[in-house]
Amino acid sequence: MGVDGQHRQLVSGASERRTAFRAGQRAILQSLPGTAAWGLICGVAMVKGGLATPWAIAMSLLVYAASAQLAALPLIIAGAPLWLIIATGFVTNLRFVIYSAALRPYFAAEPVGKRALAGFFMTDFTFTLFMRSAQEGSLPARHRDAWFAGVCATNWVTWQACSIVGIVASAYVPTQWGLEFTGTLALVALIGPALNVRPAVVGALVSAVVALLAHSLPYRLGLFVAAIAGIVAATLADSRTPAPPREAEAAQ
Amino acid sequence: MNEPVAGVALAVVIVGLALSTFATRTSFLLAGRRFRLNHRIEVALRYAPVCTLSAIVAPAVLHSGTEFDFSPANPRLIGVLGAALWLCWSRNIVGCLASGMAAYSVARLVLG
Repeated sequence: MGVDGQHRQLVSGASERRTAFRAGQRAILQSLPGTAAWGLICGVAMVKGGLATPWAIAMSLLVYAASAQLAALPLIIAGAPLWLIIATGFVTNLRFVIYSAALRPYFAAEPVGKRALAGFFMTDFTFTLFMRSAQEGSLPARHRDAWFAGVCATNWVTWQACSIVGIVASAYVPTQWGLEFTGTLALVALIGPALNVRPAVVGALVSAVVALLAHSLPYRLGLFVAAIAGIVAATLADSRTPAPPREAEAAQ
Repeated sequence: MNEPVAGVALAVVIVGLALSTFATRTSFLLAGRRFRLNHRIEVALRYAPVCTLSAIVAPAVLHSGTEFDFSPANPRLIGVLGAALWLCWSRNIVGCLASGMAAYSVARLVLG
């Protein structure tokens, strides 16, 4: 192959990656209104909870995990010890360890920097979309990393823009409309389509019941316990021979 | 009201939270090929999204923040039912949010 041929191949590889990136952006588009409303409310809640504007913005940009931020906030304001605040954030985030394990086979062949980025930008929404697309076979065959980058970049920009608007304009955002409920509804919209197989229904029910029973556990441990219980129940209810993504297939 | 927390202590808290979040999110991803779970467990994790989201949503709907509310007049429950009804015939998330918020708002106006 001559220099021209190599050049053409590089160019077409770059354009394939751009196409995959845009496909990812389109895939996350639907869930952006929920992300936007929930980001706005999260921003407002941080300021109303007692954080000064620059600190709230720094927290939003660096932590990028609404549930951990909101769980840590009252402890921060009350002057709780550092270890307790970090531990609360950590336990609230334990579900991400499960997500990370689920994504691992798809990204195992990528360089370490890309895996770190995929982790940093992984949220309930981007992870659920990735897994759903993987199971429906609608992930692109090549350049999955570019597709996920498109998903994550779009989600991140939307979240941060709305969160920062909420922080800066907290006095003008009406709180009596119950806009924070859109965050819960957006999650319902992710659950609904996943309930198309019996093991998923069993898992969802068991998770919900255990989450209610374990609600009084400290540091939101109940969420993690409930997720594990649900996954175990769903697997027990799943009598099919598993058709999993083996690493060789999952990696490009 | 107390002064808003600020200064070095708050910076340390924010960086600590950021690092602990990053650690959970990247845990298995960073392990890459060096450490993997049993294959059967990785297969079971296909149910991770639906189970985790249900575990987040159930208390958010049925717990008011101070106590459980299993009554059919719980506006959050009515809102979720509105959203679920929409999802029976469409996957469109915007419509789901709109119908859920409509049911929730009407319930709060009528029952509140």
